Amino acid sequence: MEPIVETFESRKKHMCIKGEGLSIPVCDKASLPGTVTQRTCVYGGARIILMPITDSIHLVHGPIGCAACTWDIRGSKSSREDLYKKGCSTDLGEKDIVFGGEKKLYETVIELHRLYNPGAVFVYATCVAGVIGDDIKAVCKKSEEVTGCRVIPVQSEGFQNHNKTKGHWIGCDALLDHVIGTKEPEKTTPFDINVVGEFNVAGDFWGFKPLLEEMGVNIISTITGDSHVDEIAQAHRAKLNIVQCQKSSNYLVKKMEKKYGIPSIKVNFFGLEQTVNSLREIADFFGDPEMIERTEKIIEKGLQEVEHKTDEYRERLNGKTVALYVGGNKAWSLVRAFEELGMDVMMSGTKNGIREDYERIKEAVRDGTIIVDDASSTELARLLKKYRPNLLISGAKEKYISLKLGIPFCDFNHDRISAFAGFKGFVSFAKEVDASVSSPVFDLNSTSLRGD
Amino acid sequence: MSCVNLIEKERNAIINPLKTCQPLGAMYAVTGVRRAVPLVHGSQGCSTFVRYSLSRHFREPSEIAVTSLHEDAAVFGGRRNLVEGLQNVAIRLKPSLIGVITTCSSEIIGDDVFGFIKTAKKELTEKIGEEKTEKIKIVPISTPSFVETHLKGYDNAVKALIDHVAEPSEPNEKINIIPGMVNPGDVREIKHILSLMDIEGIVLTDISDPFDSPLRPSTAELKPYYPKGGTTVEEIADSANSSGTLSLTKYAGSGALSLEKKYNVPAELGPLPIGVQNTDQFLRNLKKLTGQDITDDILDERGLLIDSMADLSSRYLHNRTVAIYGDPEITAGMARFVGELGMVPQLVLTGANNKEFVPDIENIAKDTGNEIDTMVGQDLRALEVYLKDNPVDLMIGSSDGRLIAKEVGIPLVRVGFPVYDRVGYHRHPVVGYNGGIHLIDMITNTVLENYYEHQHWKLQQ
Repeated sequence: MEPIVETFESRKKHMCIKGEGLSIPVCDKASLPGTVTQRTCVYGGARIILMPITDSIHLVHGPIGCAACTWDIRGSKSSREDLYKKGCSTDLGEKDIVFGGEKKLYETVIELHRLYNPGAVFVYATCVAGVIGDDIKAVCKKSEEVTGCRVIPVQSEGFQNHNKTKGHWIGCDALLDHVIGTKEPEKTTPFDINVVGEFNVAGDFWGFKPLLEEMGVNIISTITGDSHVDEIAQAHRAKLNIVQCQKSSNYLVKKMEKKYGIPSIKVNFFGLEQTVNSLREIADFFGDPEMIERTEKIIEKGLQEVEHKTDEYRERLNGKTVALYVGGNKAWSLVRAFEELGMDVMMSGTKNGIREDYERIKEAVRDGTIIVDDASSTELARLLKKYRPNLLISGAKEKYISLKLGIPFCDFNHDRISAFAGFKGFVSFAKEVDASVSSPVFDLNSTSLRGD
Repeated sequence: MSCVNLIEKERNAIINPLKTCQPLGAMYAVTGVRRAVPLVHGSQGCSTFVRYSLSRHFREPSEIAVTSLHEDAAVFGGRRNLVEGLQNVAIRLKPSLIGVITTCSSEIIGDDVFGFIKTAKKELTEKIGEEKTEKIKIVPISTPSFVETHLKGYDNAVKALIDHVAEPSEPNEKINIIPGMVNPGDVREIKHILSLMDIEGIVLTDISDPFDSPLRPSTAELKPYYPKGGTTVEEIADSANSSGTLSLTKYAGSGALSLEKKYNVPAELGPLPIGVQNTDQFLRNLKKLTGQDITDDILDERGLLIDSMADLSSRYLHNRTVAIYGDPEITAGMARFVGELGMVPQLVLTGANNKEFVPDIENIAKDTGNEIDTMVGQDLRALEVYLKDNPVDLMIGSSDGRLIAKEVGIPLVRVGFPVYDRVGYHRHPVVGYNGGIHLIDMITNTVLENYYEHQHWKLQQ
């Protein structure tokens, strides 16, 4: 059989076509050394989970680069504090490597607490902190006693694992071990929920928060978009967890279910149909007739508001193909949204997928869709060249690879500007996808001057 | 009174950094070599976050391979990863050169990169034969992330490239240029000046095309993808035969000094030719090393810069105060230039901790008759605190200062790295006389927008 694209022998099974024998690619393996990987490190995974906590200081314990290349790059929006946007580092130097960085870490935490009086200080371990063996937990404990402020160790040494997912879990563990369940809410209602795995990138959360409030549920916390650490501390009293990014946060809700008996529902606010389904499922969970009635009205109103607003875009996008190459969740959660625009998802892939993620992708896509795991930059370029989708959905590193090949690109990652969730978000989504796919620029690109 | 007030850092914590670690500088330098692959020996984040940073600034792909170190490597060493990684790069990407860039973790675990490269070459020879193996230069670049900054990494990379590739043969009458960490527009301006002087140059390394390359899918069909341009390995080899080396930054002069020591290629270090006098100095250095005359075309370009300064400086810029932050060479260059414009460089601040910086600023203070508050090894938090007590009319620096600019209500002219919230900055020069014209336009337009009644008809004159 012809390989999907030319690549290393060991990589061939990381790509498959749904419906043709193997429908789940080999996944969750260490990347081949020497490739241009699109993956990142465990530290990156933990930071993605925790960085959106807006009233906290996020202190990176390592040489300067780990903080310098990652501060304020999470596109999470805040309605209140902006402390989370600060790039804080212990800036470990040669002397610290030799003598240890614990004293410097302690002093840095004390300084940051004095300067900002944050809700919490999250201390992230990097590769170096791990290799030199600094006891971050002990330093956090000591500085917490001195400051009276939450100082939370995040054991996110970058090279721990090939899969960033491990970092997501470490971020979740920091919340489970040190935050959730440490504060009681002033009041509780029968309809208390947590919105889990929603990071408010570009303000996505604000696209469906009003809908939830109108339904009559009470949001105790979001984990972690636009959140304060004290709100997450009360999360154990919720009656339900709804999970948007299941890739990063299923781990958290499973543990919360075990520890606190809180059930969870998987939701998806990308696309109209999925938004409607998600709202209904939440209402059905509570089974309150008035809430169910209110929810139907919200759905009716929501759909009415956007009716015909995407017609123009859909007309142009109908039949166009799209390739998804993302961190995880969006590889399945966006599929229906694109189908609602009349588009055909011809490829879906993730950088860090584990088997359960690929099960979800397999369920979501049609037969004949290419499913790829951990494609390197070279493989991605070959896939794009060979199959020439009308659009690639991915992040900032992939953007320019795609554009250089003349393939339109739309950012669905940290760098996007418009919120895409909820009813109105779907209109913005359609508009941006259309702006990418229907841009006249790529016609100019194919103009031949020399008759070649 | 002209002097420097050195303001010391009062904290341990770095809050909003103005520097990053060595490997970024090395990845930048290796990208400037034609058909070269930077191979980072470290965690996946070490390459990925740098690729993100570079792509965000240049709006270009950034192809950097990594050996993907994991926990077992921390225990048993990264030998297998590097040996395999080198072979995978060599066989699949068929590069002309691989720059092996170390990181904090590989440095601390004590990986013997030189030894690993030998092993990899041996294994590679068995697989693809001696001839093909010998064609690929493998250059070890030591960049411990916990020592100094990205500039040191750049310096180490340029020196390593020279030390491993340069080969003396016949004199070539060319000039080597080490541009420092600047933009494609800057390198193009330097090459423009060389062509006006009728001098052939070897740029070590030339990132101008790799970080600003045309969208031409038909040419990108080549397998595998390499950007257009860059300095060829042959040119780097030939650098041992040049008439001289000009490092445009004294913070990355090791390569130039190495060529001088080993092959008697005279070296001149700095300053980065920003503004009139620094560019004059650059031209004098060129003349000194090559004997070429400064042409009329160049004097005309100089005249155009002076002309625009005459048009604008007294009327809109004189005595306006400026805070400048960023890499030391660019910050010092900008301080001198705003002084030439009659503006006051009230504060200069750099994240690096280089000892040459303060004497540089002392000279600028003396030459421009200003008292300059100076911060070394500091961060953006220090800038913010300073500006709240000591407001200025204008900030000059990277996009990372945008939130401070908003907070303190001072307009920001974007110069340096990174600039990601405006477009075109990587394409336009700040160096040379043309760079000066570009800068004075940006500075004056910013002043006009912020300090004048916008529709006033007299602004037209």
